[in-house]
Amino acid sequence: MAIKKRDLIFFFTIFLLLIGAMVLHLFSGQLKLTWNEFIDSMFNFDVKNTQQLIAREFRIPRLIIAMVAGAGLAVSGMLMQTLFNNPLAGPYVLGINSGSSLLVALSLLTGFSFFQSDIGIIASALFGALIFGFLLLGLSMYIKSSISLLLIGLMLGSFTGAIITALQAISSAQELKAFTIWTMGSLQQTQFDQLPIILLFFVIGISMCFFLVKPLDVLVIGEKNTEILGLNIKRIRILSITVTAILTGLTTAFCGPIAFVGMAVPNLTRILLKTQSHGKLLLANLLFGALFLVLSDSIIQLIESFIPLPINAFTSLIGAPLVILIVLKRLK
Amino acid sequence: MIHFHSVEIGYNTMLVQTGDLALKSGAIYSLIGSNGSGKTTFLHTLIGKKTLLSGTITLKSKSLISYKAKELARQIAFVEAKFDGVEYLTVREYISMGRTPHTDTFGRLRTVDIEHVENAIRTLCLEEFAERFTTELSDGERQLIAIARALAQDTPILILDEPTAFLDYGNRKILIRTLSYIAKNLGKCILFSTHDIDLCLEEKLNLLVIDQTTRKLLSSVNLTKQELLQIGFNFSSND
Repeated sequence: MAIKKRDLIFFFTIFLLLIGAMVLHLFSGQLKLTWNEFIDSMFNFDVKNTQQLIAREFRIPRLIIAMVAGAGLAVSGMLMQTLFNNPLAGPYVLGINSGSSLLVALSLLTGFSFFQSDIGIIASALFGALIFGFLLLGLSMYIKSSISLLLIGLMLGSFTGAIITALQAISSAQELKAFTIWTMGSLQQTQFDQLPIILLFFVIGISMCFFLVKPLDVLVIGEKNTEILGLNIKRIRILSITVTAILTGLTTAFCGPIAFVGMAVPNLTRILLKTQSHGKLLLANLLFGALFLVLSDSIIQLIESFIPLPINAFTSLIGAPLVILIVLKRLK
Repeated sequence: MIHFHSVEIGYNTMLVQTGDLALKSGAIYSLIGSNGSGKTTFLHTLIGKKTLLSGTITLKSKSLISYKAKELARQIAFVEAKFDGVEYLTVREYISMGRTPHTDTFGRLRTVDIEHVENAIRTLCLEEFAERFTTELSDGERQLIAIARALAQDTPILILDEPTAFLDYGNRKILIRTLSYIAKNLGKCILFSTHDIDLCLEEKLNLLVIDQTTRKLLSSVNLTKQELLQIGFNFSSND
């Protein structure tokens, strides 16, 4: 993997932008905080200090979950786009999010107390993502056309949407509210003491990607050639779907469904870097995905007092036109 | 190099019957037969994608089915009829993929891998294309880089499925001469399927013809075009 000067400039720029966006994000809430309050909230925490409490319980978790969700969704999108050999693939379009949504809806709306704990929601989201991921994988063995697969993904989304609507109709007002807020997508629900488990799942998911770099590099020339070059295609598929389910499930559990990041960011990085080297793309998607969501969430916080926008609405507002542009550019 | 011992190949019904046949290194064989006669099935059997109906194939005196996928990829390189190119994939990166069966889990290229890639580029005179994207080449150029990828794989055997199918006359001639050169000078065993009977006869290649009536694979260099058409396609000039 030769690193060109152009690539170095790209990574350095994105890295600087990300640092800038992180600082902007930390300071873009309604209440003005200082650096010292952030540092104290981490290493010298005083529960009675309101500023420190806000820094520790709201600002820092919100920044970290924004980075984890952005990076995780972008990497998932990259895996799906290469696996299905289609620039329109992504965890959202393929219906992997829908799996998470369905199971979370079941747990939030049926009132099982076990399911409403944090671990319960994470487990439901992960499990849902895995079930739908492997359902899609199974279908992809029989259906060769990737357009058909995308359509099936969209149908899975509509189908689960209908089930969820039915569930909503029979659930109580309180359950309904909890679920509706969850579907809008939110980066504000994460708490400080949930960060270790979030980071643990994130690191596991990303570490597994290093084993996918070589197979995905070869996979761009087709599944048949990949097999003939001695790689195990089934293993690649199972690993890719598992990683996608972990990263998408994690994000969906804590932030609700977030659209378009997984589709738009991997396309942008491929176009900007002009490469099919998945080592570079992996790093680029981690940085760019985090940048995209941190920046989006900063803007949401800055305009909050004028227009309150849920994150899912915002990423769709930015993402949908972006995807149209990408489609026009790549598929013309 | 490759030995066929009374092999029968096909799906539910037998398509090709080889008898005893040996393919040697340093030689080039062209597989001829009508559409649907089993050429592709025959080639797919060799790369382990299809099981035999009966008989055995040995590769370097070891049974073909005992090779694991990665081991087989170090013995046999395969080139498809057409490579359409992939956007943002450079020619050098594409040719480097030939090293896949030799590199570690993370696909890092060692000095020896880079040498094989550069040798393949030099052998096929692709230096000026190396940094171009694979989508920017013509069909003929792409067929050459696919062969370069197979060369970089550093296998004793090269198998090509109708490599001339999408090329114009000039490029067909260049391709077949290139393959002959590789077989003679690099000592490889090359087998390719084709419908270019005239070119194979002109270049005096070893012919393997699937007999249309008996399903037997006949091996010969001394057939005339008329005999070839009669055996392979049930077509006589009197018709």
